[in-house]
Amino acid sequence: MSWAQAIMLARGLSRGWRGICGAALTGAPFSQVPSQVPRGLHCSVATHSSDSSLVPRPPEPLRQPAKPLSPHEELFRPAPDGARNKASFVRAVQNFGQHNVHKRGHVDFIYLALRKMRDYGVEKDLAVYNLLLDVFPKEVFRPRNVFQKIFVHYPRQQECGLAVLEQMENHGVMPNKETEFLLVQIFGRKSYPMLKFVRMKLWFSRFKNINPFPVPRDLPKDPVDLAMLGLRHIEPDLSARVTVYQQMASSKDSTGTADPTEQHIVGIQSPDQQAALARHNPARPLFVEGPFSLWLRDKCVYYHILRADLVPPEEREVEEIPEEWNLYYPIQLDLKYGRGGWDDYEFDIDEVEEGPVFAMCMAGAHDQATLAKWIQGLQETNPALAQIPVIFRLTGSTGELLASSSGLEEPSPPPPQEQEEEEDHTQRQQRGQS
Amino acid sequence: MALVHKLLNGTYILSKGLKPSVAACPFLSTRSADYCSSSLQKPVATPGKASTQRTSAGGLQGDQREVALDIPSPEEKPEVSFDKAIKDEIKEHFRRLKDEIVNHWIGPEGRPLQEIILEQARVVWQFRGKEDLDKWIVTSDKTIGGKSEVFLKMGKNNQSALLYGTLSSAAPQDGENSQSGYCAMISRIPRGAFERKKSYDWSQFNTLYLRVRGDGRPWMVNIREDTDIIQKNNQMYSYFMFTRGGPYWQEVKIPFSKFFFSNQGRIRDAQFQLLLDKISSIGFTLADKVDGPFFLEIDFIGVFADPAHTEEFAYENSPVLNPRLFK
Repeated sequence: MSWAQAIMLARGLSRGWRGICGAALTGAPFSQVPSQVPRGLHCSVATHSSDSSLVPRPPEPLRQPAKPLSPHEELFRPAPDGARNKASFVRAVQNFGQHNVHKRGHVDFIYLALRKMRDYGVEKDLAVYNLLLDVFPKEVFRPRNVFQKIFVHYPRQQECGLAVLEQMENHGVMPNKETEFLLVQIFGRKSYPMLKFVRMKLWFSRFKNINPFPVPRDLPKDPVDLAMLGLRHIEPDLSARVTVYQQMASSKDSTGTADPTEQHIVGIQSPDQQAALARHNPARPLFVEGPFSLWLRDKCVYYHILRADLVPPEEREVEEIPEEWNLYYPIQLDLKYGRGGWDDYEFDIDEVEEGPVFAMCMAGAHDQATLAKWIQGLQETNPALAQIPVIFRLTGSTGELLASSSGLEEPSPPPPQEQEEEEDHTQRQQRGQS
Repeated sequence: MALVHKLLNGTYILSKGLKPSVAACPFLSTRSADYCSSSLQKPVATPGKASTQRTSAGGLQGDQREVALDIPSPEEKPEVSFDKAIKDEIKEHFRRLKDEIVNHWIGPEGRPLQEIILEQARVVWQFRGKEDLDKWIVTSDKTIGGKSEVFLKMGKNNQSALLYGTLSSAAPQDGENSQSGYCAMISRIPRGAFERKKSYDWSQFNTLYLRVRGDGRPWMVNIREDTDIIQKNNQMYSYFMFTRGGPYWQEVKIPFSKFFFSNQGRIRDAQFQLLLDKISSIGFTLADKVDGPFFLEIDFIGVFADPAHTEEFAYENSPVLNPRLFK
């Protein structure tokens, strides 16, 4: 028998002996009925006492087991004023440092603080992350000799440091010099958090400014400002003019959603679109379509467009620009310098063509009454619009999103009858006004 | 080997068609033997028919005709004839093999050589009909227990593909995944005759071209190289595609030199250039951690040679991260 087997046997024996002793000492005498019936997992106490087992009871609400409090949960108790902001978070972290001079349980505390950051709204604050890293004791986890460098020194602490950096990465927070200094002080240069830091520095700086359509980091809170920003964002023509047709009512009426005079309406139209609308054939109707969604970072706004169907090719008029009239392209050059006769950079495909868009708007409500006010406002700058019938093609719910494409090939489903009538009414009203 | 694989596939398809009446399977096989002896007509069964056959043991032929008359929709009649399916498959694959040989005689990819050499812009994927959607797979984090949903369909005017759905970053409660929330659309690997794996050769182009319309969300474009090495299965080259949002179509040009190298979703320290001679698939991923609906319309995807772009690879390796590359 090898010594290992002997040890195993000895252990088993001692465990068995302890079990017997424990039963004899703590268990009740056999003659008495044990006070607590050992229950199986699936039977309840109530079935023994009452006839409730026969009556089908309504299923009990699934009781969540009371979540055990994390070790340092009391530091994050809501303050008396109930405010959860950066100041209270920083206070909690500092309290930990003051109460625990030896930094006992700091890893648990940092994991807890990382979970709490979103509640306090500080998940994108670099200073707070640096403060969290500052909780680590300095110079303790640095490898001192070559063997400590080879093997992961203090792995749990390094993982915790990695978790802090990972959360920074997920929220797009770029570490700075202070972070580097702290990491070097805590873990040393040859450590996994430091490696992660170098990677973050490298790749964040590479991808920081690659978005060709940048959106500001802090979006405006005011819906009118947000609508103006969104419209500027989706309109490629920089000379387009943003018009606020109707301001949001400041009074806080609860019925504000129904009243079209309460909502803000912001529209955008470029000079080219204005000219195209003036040339539009009045026999062809215009369509107000929407709402379509637009994401600005994590906010979703909805916009509507005023568009026409694609003009059939026989009605298209090619505009001839006399050469000497056009100041921007004085001579029409057909020569292609630097290109051989074989060069052909065109894709062999028919691109999807769609009808022209004449204007876009964002409004507080997506109903027809609000949008009719937008059309009325457009008429001031586009007198031709008064002669053109406008049909509202609104999808019912704003949450459901449909394709924003409407082509010539497939006619869209006819709008409901009442909407048409209403529309006629609106048109008449518009004509009457103009 | 490939043939055997395909045959197995064929049987799988057959069994899929029969799924509603699995119990009728052995029953049916005996019946088909019976038929072969009596008449030339191949047995054709639908789930509904199987039940009628079970009830009436006699008068089979009459029953069958009646049922066939009863069923008004002939478009979904799963073929059960095993032999016929195999024969069709074999015929189809030999036809494809013949086409490949003939095309190879004409030139690479069935086009004359001078046309290929002089080509500077090529449309690789376009969306002009339902059959174009079959070249794509859509997946979401439902496969790992998440709640995102994604669908692919043709746009309203039947000229573009519309990828839409809802992103949800609620992590599945399985104790395994702590994060979730992605939707993806991946092109299928092109297959030749007898299910041979094929690949795209884009070595004469240097820029990817997409005509899309989105809703302002950032997407990720992933390109996979064709490889038989298992360890390279999770390696891909990625770059970002930013959509503007709004009603206008948008042209996205991404030079292939910008694609960075990643393995299992993590950027590798040692970066290598994307080699374009064997490309197996392209994919689009949305995972921007913003919950809500999204859509992306794609007109077509092409590659072209931009003479103004001379960059070979955009990312230099860092001596801090890869000291071995600099020894």
